[in-house]
Amino acid sequence: MKIGVYVCHCGTNIAATVDVKEVTEFAKNQPDVTIARDYVYMCSDPGQELIKKDISDANLDRVVVASCSPRMHEVTFRKTCEEAGLNAYCMEMANIREHCSWVHTDKEKATEKAKGLVASAIAKASLLQPFEPMRVGVTPSVLVIGGGIAGIQSAQDIADAGFQVYLVEREPSIGGHMAQLDKTFPTLDCSACVLTPKMVDVARHKNIKLITYAEVETVEGYIGNFKVAVRKKARYVDEEKCTGCGDCAKVCPVTISNEFDMDLGARKAAYVPFPQAVPLVYTLERDKCMRCGLCEVVCEAGAINFEERDEEIELEVGAIIAATGYDLFDPSLEPNYGYEYDEVITGLEFERLCNASGPTLGKIEINGKEPKEVVFISCVGSREREGITNYELRITNSNLDSQTSNLKPQTSKGNEYCSRVCCMYIAKQAHLVREHISDANATVFYTDVRAFGKGFEEFYWRVKEEGVNYIRRELTDELKVDKDENGQLRVKTVSEGVPIEKEADLVVLATGIVPKEDVCETARKLKITQSGDKFFLEAHPKLRPVDTLTNGIFIAGCCQSPKDIPDTVAQASATASRACSILCKEYVEVEPITAEVDETLCCGCGICESVCPYGAIEVVDTEEGRRARVTSVKCYGCGTCGSSCIKKAVKMHQFTDEQLIAQERAALATEEVVF
Amino acid sequence: MDEVKLIGFMCNWCCYAGADLAGVSRFHYPPNIRIIRVMCSGRVDPELILDTFLYGADGVFIGGCHLGECHYLEGNYYAEKKIEMAKRLLKAAGVEPERLRLEWVSASEGERFAEVIRVFTEEIKELGPVKCEKEELEAACIAAADYKLRILATKERELLEDGNKYGEVFTMHEMDRLLGDMVQEDYESKRILLKLKKPMSVKEIASELNLKPNVVFRRILDLKRHELIEIHEIRDNTPTYIANTREGVE
Ligand SMILES: Cc1cc2nc3c(=O)[nH]c(=O)nc-3n(C[C@H](O)[C@H](O)[C@H](O)COP(=O)(O)OP(=O)(O)OC[C@H]3O[C@@H](n4cnc5c(N)ncnc54)[C@H](O)[C@@H]3O)c2cc1C
Repeated sequence: MKIGVYVCHCGTNIAATVDVKEVTEFAKNQPDVTIARDYVYMCSDPGQELIKKDISDANLDRVVVASCSPRMHEVTFRKTCEEAGLNAYCMEMANIREHCSWVHTDKEKATEKAKGLVASAIAKASLLQPFEPMRVGVTPSVLVIGGGIAGIQSAQDIADAGFQVYLVEREPSIGGHMAQLDKTFPTLDCSACVLTPKMVDVARHKNIKLITYAEVETVEGYIGNFKVAVRKKARYVDEEKCTGCGDCAKVCPVTISNEFDMDLGARKAAYVPFPQAVPLVYTLERDKCMRCGLCEVVCEAGAINFEERDEEIELEVGAIIAATGYDLFDPSLEPNYGYEYDEVITGLEFERLCNASGPTLGKIEINGKEPKEVVFISCVGSREREGITNYELRITNSNLDSQTSNLKPQTSKGNEYCSRVCCMYIAKQAHLVREHISDANATVFYTDVRAFGKGFEEFYWRVKEEGVNYIRRELTDELKVDKDENGQLRVKTVSEGVPIEKEADLVVLATGIVPKEDVCETARKLKITQSGDKFFLEAHPKLRPVDTLTNGIFIAGCCQSPKDIPDTVAQASATASRACSILCKEYVEVEPITAEVDETLCCGCGICESVCPYGAIEVVDTEEGRRARVTSVKCYGCGTCGSSCIKKAVKMHQFTDEQLIAQERAALATEEVVF
Repeated sequence: MDEVKLIGFMCNWCCYAGADLAGVSRFHYPPNIRIIRVMCSGRVDPELILDTFLYGADGVFIGGCHLGECHYLEGNYYAEKKIEMAKRLLKAAGVEPERLRLEWVSASEGERFAEVIRVFTEEIKELGPVKCEKEELEAACIAAADYKLRILATKERELLEDGNKYGEVFTMHEMDRLLGDMVQEDYESKRILLKLKKPMSVKEIASELNLKPNVVFRRILDLKRHELIEIHEIRDNTPTYIANTREGVE
């Protein structure tokens, strides 16, 4: 065994706190080490060349790089080895930067620790085995889940590249939240004008199969080879026959509130959510329909079918894009906002009030009354610090009279993050108020204005110059919306330490973006991870922003984090490009970090099978009796089977018992310990 | 070196990444810990932990993803039970179970990571170096490798949630008793086994290990049944036993 050890200075990042020379000398004296060198930047071209040259000149069969985190450069140095003819999996890293030089100040102790980490890596390296990445075939099609602007964009891009796309949307129409918006910041172009043609394109595209009013039930398989079961809910209307004339809705006797209009308007049990719906096909809402049959009588196309049943659709796809979007924070969770009053609405409700196809046909009015004083409140449900009650926070800063401070202490129901779109949609809506009602005043209670995007700051100033009144308050300042004895709505808060009270006819709450209600369920189905705030987690915040940690599954739009339409579309196109990079191949390579069963030791007890989350290990009948077997491509390499096997028959490649034990013992041994 | 030594096994996706973030953000913590990467906290088994103590660790830290956020869905739930088992074995060997710490740290909790390690290091410094005999830890280590305890460590979750083959769901209390007894028994057996590298009688073992002779006798019968030991010779009507070298003790 010949091991080469390469200790990186990382400029002064490592060298300032760790005596790199001393560590290199130490490494030279470790078992099996034939070469140990230090270099200023190991990851640089000359650094990598150094390693390559040694591999070929000195015939190294293992390499240890002591530098940064393997999460940073493992791939880099594996490639280096491979290029020099050494198997990529014969390289091990010692993380002496993130886990050592950056977190310690005492040079002597940090050097001591670096030695331990290097010894540990050397011990593991000597036990590493060469592996070849596994190759699996690819089904050249994609499932896109969610038909908001994110899903629409992904689907279009992938279909344009020539691959088959299945776009599954749970609602009767695609469009998502963007279809509900009136104008869009910062350009004020009309949302429907931008969106509707795209929706139509998607429906017409020869490579896209639109599956609306449908749910993804199960997802099995792995990159290149997913099997997906989709349940298409019964519409009781034949999609092929329906012409979208709307006669059924006209005669339908059941009137219910329209969730698309945020329940501000009404619709029938036979409905399309909005006039530009795609597909333009009516749906009879199962729970609300009385089965009176009037629609059946008037439908000239004969499209009504009460016998229709849910349909199970099986899809085979090579990649999956989750674009499931968001929900909005429920302001009734924080009673101080007075959401129970008709005159207190959310930003999304405002969008519907403004919209020409909305419940008021674009007239901003509440119970038939046009407001003259409109107040916007920012950060509702956003930017709240966990563990601190709003009340306590507010009280410490509050100068309000006791009358308004009699709120019950409440724990924070909101989220810590900033929802990113609210500042700009407030600016947009404040502008729209004055556009619709020329003599109205718009006041914004804000904390900070985050106008970070292209054209945002300019837009914000434009709105301010139009006369919108921005009043700053701290997030910790108490705020209360309620009515006085005359039924007049009042907003009471504190600005710059001074109590302030404002009469209002309409209060718009800028409620933040929260993860979709069933986000956890979707994550579980797809076997993808979530961040602490429950949005889907990207594989790397900077370098792999649309990948998930599950190979072949990508994320776009607000299901990943709050964002505006431009960012959503950019991300959606990115997922398309990522998915196409899989679909265009005949096969993909997957990491060989998988489990393997030594069948001579296995007793077939099946405990491994019971703990495997992926069904990757199964007990099968063999000539020798019942034995566990691993389907390598399904195995993600967690190793829980290995730690559970009662016979220690499961070997977790790259993290074997022997390797871990060697690592731990080497890290502990200041000198050789023998029992 | 008189300083305490700590080893951390951390999952690649959360805790290890959290440690990386602590580094990137320069949140300092004491240098006693050496971090070893595993893909999932569920990979860590009691034997590995006990081996780490046996080879000189004064504290062992296992870091995984928060419950419900495991990259492999539920590996950390299994980790929880395996760490419990390791703690029982530590206790049996006379090592403070607090020397083993399981924590959930997410990839974004760099500051918390540093804090958690700082506190853990302080606690171990307070306890000082491990004080028990090598042979006690060795026995615990062999017990951890034994199939009986490996089954229990894994199945505990199932027994508590879904019940056993007869559909009987164990209560926490029952489980606790069952595990307590099993660990104690197995540990004692392994202690005896280690003693029997040289021939000894029941009485001699009992006095050396400070156990009741009838307990030792029961364990001896059990070990003999499993052919791990055999009778060496009969001295004055008293048999002495010796470990069966063919089968090997490891
Ligand atoms: C009040 C308000 C005003 C805004 N104004 C602007 C603006 O002016 N300009 C701007 O750039 N941005 C604005 N935004 C932000 C904008 O709404 C989002 O950026 C955009 O809608 C995100 O699109 P999406 O596709 O990610 O999510 P969504 O629009 O939420 O779409 C998700 C889709 O997926 C479907 N779905 C969810 N789960 C499943 C499932 N399990 N199976 C199948 N289908 C599923 C949903 O039904 C939905 O159709 C505003 C937001 C709000 C709240």
